[in-house]
Amino acid sequence: MTVEVQSKAKLSQLSSDKQLTFIKLAVLSMAAILSFATRLFSVLRFESVIHEFDPYFNYRTTRFLTEEGFYQFHNWFDDRAWYPLGRIIGGTIYPGLMVTSATLYNIMQFLNITIDIRNVCVFLAPFFSSLTTIVTYLLTKELKDEGAGLVAAAMIAIVPGYISRSVAGSYDNEGIAIFCMLLTYYFWIKAVNTGTILWATMTALAYFYMVSSWGGYVFLINLIPLHVLALMLLGRFSARVYVAYSTLYCVGTILSMQISFVGFQPVQSSEHMLALGTFGLCQLYAFTQYLREHLSPANFELLFKALLTTLLATLGTALVVLTVTGKISPWTGRFYSLLDPSYAKNHIPIIASVSEHQPTSWSSFYFDLQVLVFLFPAGLYFCFTKLTDANIFIILYGVLSIYFAGVMVRLMLVLAPVMCVVSGVAASSLLSLHVKDIEPKVEKHDKKKKHENNFVFRSEVGALFVCVLGCLLVSYVFHCTWVTSEAYSSPSIVLSARAHDGARIIFDDFREAYTWLKMNTPQDAKVMSWWDYGYQITAMANRTVIVDNNTWNNTHISRVGQAMASSEEHAYEIMRELDVDYVLVIFGGLVGYSSDDINKFLWMVRIGGSTERGAHIREADYYTGAGEFRVDAHGSPTLLNCLMYKMSYYKFGLVYTEGGRPPGYDRVRGAEIGNKDFNLDVLEEAYTTEHWLVRIYKVKPLPNRGL
Amino acid sequence: MMPAMAKIQVLVLLLLYIAIQCGSLNVDTISSDIKIKNVDRSIDISSQLVKITSKVTLENTGKVPVKNFLLSVEGGAKSNLAFISAKDQNNKDLRLVETTVKGYDQVKFWRVELKEAINVASTAIIGTESVYTKALQPFPTAITQQEDQLVKYNGNLYFYSPYPVVSQKTNVVLNTKSVESFTKIKPFSQQDGTIAYGSYSNISPFTEKELNIHYKNNSPFLTVTRLARLIEVSHWGNIAIEETVEIEHTGAKLKGPFSRYDYQQDHHSGPASVRSYKTFLPASASDVYYRDTNGNISTSNMKVKKDSVELDLRPRYPLFGGWRSHYTLGYNVPSYEYLYHSGNEYLLKMRAVDHVFDDMQVDELVTKIILPEGSTNIVVNFPFTVTRLSDSLHYTYLDTKGRPVITFTKQNVVENHIQDFQIRYTFPRLLMLQEPLLVVGFLYTLFLCVIIYVRLDFSIHKPEHQHKD
Repeated sequence: MTVEVQSKAKLSQLSSDKQLTFIKLAVLSMAAILSFATRLFSVLRFESVIHEFDPYFNYRTTRFLTEEGFYQFHNWFDDRAWYPLGRIIGGTIYPGLMVTSATLYNIMQFLNITIDIRNVCVFLAPFFSSLTTIVTYLLTKELKDEGAGLVAAAMIAIVPGYISRSVAGSYDNEGIAIFCMLLTYYFWIKAVNTGTILWATMTALAYFYMVSSWGGYVFLINLIPLHVLALMLLGRFSARVYVAYSTLYCVGTILSMQISFVGFQPVQSSEHMLALGTFGLCQLYAFTQYLREHLSPANFELLFKALLTTLLATLGTALVVLTVTGKISPWTGRFYSLLDPSYAKNHIPIIASVSEHQPTSWSSFYFDLQVLVFLFPAGLYFCFTKLTDANIFIILYGVLSIYFAGVMVRLMLVLAPVMCVVSGVAASSLLSLHVKDIEPKVEKHDKKKKHENNFVFRSEVGALFVCVLGCLLVSYVFHCTWVTSEAYSSPSIVLSARAHDGARIIFDDFREAYTWLKMNTPQDAKVMSWWDYGYQITAMANRTVIVDNNTWNNTHISRVGQAMASSEEHAYEIMRELDVDYVLVIFGGLVGYSSDDINKFLWMVRIGGSTERGAHIREADYYTGAGEFRVDAHGSPTLLNCLMYKMSYYKFGLVYTEGGRPPGYDRVRGAEIGNKDFNLDVLEEAYTTEHWLVRIYKVKPLPNRGL
Repeated sequence: MMPAMAKIQVLVLLLLYIAIQCGSLNVDTISSDIKIKNVDRSIDISSQLVKITSKVTLENTGKVPVKNFLLSVEGGAKSNLAFISAKDQNNKDLRLVETTVKGYDQVKFWRVELKEAINVASTAIIGTESVYTKALQPFPTAITQQEDQLVKYNGNLYFYSPYPVVSQKTNVVLNTKSVESFTKIKPFSQQDGTIAYGSYSNISPFTEKELNIHYKNNSPFLTVTRLARLIEVSHWGNIAIEETVEIEHTGAKLKGPFSRYDYQQDHHSGPASVRSYKTFLPASASDVYYRDTNGNISTSNMKVKKDSVELDLRPRYPLFGGWRSHYTLGYNVPSYEYLYHSGNEYLLKMRAVDHVFDDMQVDELVTKIILPEGSTNIVVNFPFTVTRLSDSLHYTYLDTKGRPVITFTKQNVVENHIQDFQIRYTFPRLLMLQEPLLVVGFLYTLFLCVIIYVRLDFSIHKPEHQHKD
């Protein structure tokens, strides 16, 4: 019998290495496949379609890139947007996303795999999340061990905070940027651990990819210097770090300056100054260490002090001079709002008006991360217990991104990966600690074991703990799947609702309106709408818009806001000035779609009134005496007679929307509209979609004289 | 083998070309032996098309049997003519050959070749059918949303023929009582949506008399401005068909605003607009999709019937006069219904154009047929005259040298053109294995490379610790 056991043990011993590899491969590839599959809810429920607003712009530019080639793309002046100003597309975007999908598309075309460019764009984000899963495994493996890596990979595969930006169809920069970011981190930790130029250069290349794809690279180029600084302060600065950082900074900065949208910012703007400063400090630090080795302590002290004061003085004056002369660009609004959450609200209405720039609520942390919220501190504890260079990095990353995610909802995306990594470390450490206890002891008795054995119910406690953790993880899986399917898988271009009998109703009004515009208006027609719909109109209707989601010109947007908020005669002047042919508004009052233009109207008023020419537009005029925003008979007369109100409610006063309610009952505002019986003088209804979600008006030409 | 084949192809093409050239250069004379005893003509203008069916009684007054006779179309109407055919008493199609007659350059002639010659002093009854597109002019040319569409028909009161007509009657089918005005040449009578003219006797050849009818016609005036039909044949049992349709409402243009309120409130609003139409697909059609450049169009219903699949297509928006739309409709059919073979010889028999909606008119049809990779000796046989465009190659999944593509185009197509074309080609059946083998080969090389990479050490510098722990 003993012989048999021994031979069995031998067999399993022989192949255990292979078994382990096999299990690792299986878990990792399953996680990667899962991360792709879980993002397909929207495709299965609706169709392979691009989502929301910004992705439509990315899709349009990608199509342009594949059709016209890179040089045309690089020099593209877009006359379809920001009429009459136009927009230089090539110089004002991060081209990484478009170049990536165009490259994939071309490779597949070359192999005669005839996939439509739209499908490449739709499935790019899920594909890159699969890659992210693998990179997370590698990164966590560097930090802790392979087990932690696998847990982290499985976690990031389904974490809702990341899924929210990377479902199929959500074709946005973030979809590939998270992959680039984690890849950079992985290479960076490799570089710090090995101190080779090879890994440092790889880091720089990954960083370049990151810069080319997302504006969030600023976070990265501040985090890495912070890591270096922290290592210096903790006295862990070494030749390895020096090599890694110096190489990364030099190569990375030069590469990043190749992106025309970034240009000279890495050496001019204040957001990049930390990296530059740390680079300088690294050189000084290394130099002082070199000197320290060759000088006597007394001489060294003297030299050090003298050098430090002169350096600080010159640096300080240089900084002041450059800021005053404008060489260092002033801190941009978005960056301020990171540090001071109320900054944007008080100063720049256009930034505050975007919902994803709002501060995060506590509930959304739980909603997006669930069990990770609790595992994260445990993970940090484990990181602290075994402090290494790499662990310091991940601690810094975790703490910083928690702060930023708290400031802006959108940055939850940056937090999610580190949550997974740290929680992966935690879960893996806890599990391996307690699974050991449950395991039947076959090892030979030794001293250590005796020592450990003084707890009672040791294996029972272990089993209980493993069960609890297992339950938590299972609930995490259910939660993630539920959140993904309920909250993050709606294309928002197609809406669906449930009828009373449970049947699914599809509201496809947006595409109906855009297709109508595309087919039935002149090629050069100019369409005015609130900026939210600009990208969709140019991409789907192929018509010129006045403003779009690239909110680069505040006065132009303000002008549109003024037109919407003014009375008909006044608005007509503005529309003539902007050469508008059609006006498009979103109206949800009939079906109860709450994010329509009337609900956004106060932002139009605020932005419209924020410039000099809109001084006559005062927010207070649109409120009732009691300070309420109402569309019913008690509403302010200015509101009831402005262009937006008239366009939204034209002929709506005749419609019965709900049983037992008077005609003209707005289902979003829950009120009967106050101004029902009016005619439009300067506009005529050109088209209204089936559920009245989109209404398009034609601007009448000037009346003939004498009529 | 190839050059010989190419030579044969060139020869065939040359012969075809000569035949076509000869056809168009035909010169006939008008026989004085033929007299038309009676014509019963019906002009159907209740839809957007003008469909004229006539029953013509021919009489041979000469001394020799008559083997053929001429059909003619007025110079003013010939550009609108989409389709013409003739049938004999047994309802069998007769061959029509385009021809010309000296002295009548403006008139378009066809020589109808009879299966049985008309003997001396006997008669034969021939049925002819012709379809005209764009012969109905909306008047007024622009109407508001609430108004009915009025159209004008401008035709010939008499049967236009190179032979004298002894007696003739014409029935105009309008399907409406609201007629604004019409030509009143006695004898005539108006009854329940039809106007009957005649009989008129002894009308000499080539007589034209204006027939004007101005009436209400709210039937859909839809023109398919371009129909691109793509047929992709796979020998794995499937034929994929995709139709890209550009459609336009060519009736009276919409004047003034479009009011959704009125359109929803009152179902009689927008009488001239088109909310939806029906497309019939083959009964075996499956995996139907209906989309445009912006994605799936969710407003359609499919009903599977015994002999067809009925699609109730609703464009994204109702079509008013002057409004355009565009969509792609695709489906699969099993190949055993359309593809026949014996050995390596294949015969594909499919419709050159298919039903889009009832009484359709298609300005331009482009049909592309993609044959399997490796097909050779392609011979095409069309049911009507088309313009064949140059062949090309199409590359898709796992293709190496490309699939041959046959393309042809035709202007002015109507429902009567729903006929089969035939393509014969040779396809070595062993080629079926090429694509699976390609995949197998690729995977084999991939695994081989991995095996080699894993087993061998490629590093230049041997690390000191080859194995961990």
